[in-house]
Amino acid sequence: MPPLNYFVVESPDPVGREAYERITGDVLQDLDLIKVIDRLHIYVDPKVPIFIAAGVLRHMPRSIRVGDFANVNPGEKLIVLDIGDETYLAPLLRELWAHYGKENVDQPDRFTIVLPAGVVGEEELEQMVVADPSETLHKDIIYALQYIAPEGFKVRRQYIKDEKFYYVASEDTLPGDIVETMVVPIFAKMGVTL
Amino acid sequence: MTTLVPVTYKGGVYRHDEIMDLIDDLGGYIVQKHVMAQDVVLQSFVPRDDIDLIRTVAKPLAGDVIEAPLVGTEIAVVSPSLEIHHLPHTACDIAEYLRRSGAKTNMIGLARGFGKRIANLNDEERDVINEHDLAVYVLGNFEECIEHKFPALRRGIQVPIVVTGAPDRETLARIVDPPVEGYVGGVGRIMHRFKRPEELAKLDELVDEVSRALDARRDALARDPLSVFPPRLMAIVEEQIPEVTMLTHPTPVTAQMEGLRVKLPYDLYADDVRSLDVTGGVTVGDIADVLPSRMRNYILIRIKPFSETRILV
Repeated sequence: MPPLNYFVVESPDPVGREAYERITGDVLQDLDLIKVIDRLHIYVDPKVPIFIAAGVLRHMPRSIRVGDFANVNPGEKLIVLDIGDETYLAPLLRELWAHYGKENVDQPDRFTIVLPAGVVGEEELEQMVVADPSETLHKDIIYALQYIAPEGFKVRRQYIKDEKFYYVASEDTLPGDIVETMVVPIFAKMGVTL
Repeated sequence: MTTLVPVTYKGGVYRHDEIMDLIDDLGGYIVQKHVMAQDVVLQSFVPRDDIDLIRTVAKPLAGDVIEAPLVGTEIAVVSPSLEIHHLPHTACDIAEYLRRSGAKTNMIGLARGFGKRIANLNDEERDVINEHDLAVYVLGNFEECIEHKFPALRRGIQVPIVVTGAPDRETLARIVDPPVEGYVGGVGRIMHRFKRPEELAKLDELVDEVSRALDARRDALARDPLSVFPPRLMAIVEEQIPEVTMLTHPTPVTAQMEGLRVKLPYDLYADDVRSLDVTGGVTVGDIADVLPSRMRNYILIRIKPFSETRILV
């Protein structure tokens, strides 16, 4: 199971509890979220029926800058960008086009981008923010919880802010005070106040 | 009378036509042929006494003959929905494993089969499942949910059912009322491929359970045999309706235990099928019902028993 600092699955049905422990492990592993989540507590009771997942994230990944994945080589006439990792190439091109115009951005091959000298300084280019992984992270976490929860539990309430998140789902209408009555005590078990 | 037993032949493409001819000459039937790159898999019925002969002929071709209890059956693998929660792992792995034992499996993802209270089965789903020889219901983790939803999912289903779920076999047998033909516990909703030995053992258990359920049906059929053996009728259809060979389906004619599914449009071909000559003036219409299938616009042939037609070919 994932190296989370705290991971508990609670359920009155022992077989289901074990199954959900494995499902959670598999899903978090598949979506590559193990490193992101610090603490996670899941409570699922099919009799009510209710599914609650509450947890705390580790600190968010920082923004990706040009210098993180490319070498900037300023020359007399040209600035040559030597791309080390293609993952962020598409957003990088989009940024460069937006800033310097398509006519100034040339990509002679997959791993090289050429800009005319003088449009931008070396330091400025290296520090240019290309992508912010935390933007998609929130979506990924909610998707993972949706994926873990029983499919029939279509009525749901989700929350993710700063480092805390919860996801409550049921087949029936959720009571208005569900967060106060059920989610807050789960956070308390993890030593966190919502 | 020779007894035909279901077997799978696995070998290379090279000279596999010799094996096909041999099976044909021995009076056997090939119900499915798969060519995958260099390999050929033939699902067939062959006379019990001649299996050794086929083995001998196949030996220099590095071919192998394996008993496959599910050849000639069409099995529905029913998943509560087509969402990522239920697919691909559990349902696909089960379907694939049954295929290895010779069955033709169809996956049926219900439109609203999820949930405990809200689970439903519509008439189209019910009719499509009833066109199979057996339905495997791939259910989830909670005893409580299976107990509540299963009555809704089985409403109107007349074919034998095998239920899988995370609770153990005894629990499944206790909560499913009235009882079904088979139970496999410890499967449930699994989010990874079946690869551990205990998971693969569960799949073997499922194949055993399915064959047991089908054997019971076969025994009943032996008491009142069908007017014609489905693979034989399949050979006749393939021989006399050349359009069948032009279809691109993996199994243009699918053999079932009590009939055939012909993947030609019902409106255009039903009369041709009905008037096919089986032998000495007996037509398909005399010994079988030719019906429109609920699966696309296919034709479903249901062979009548001897007690009804008084004809045995």
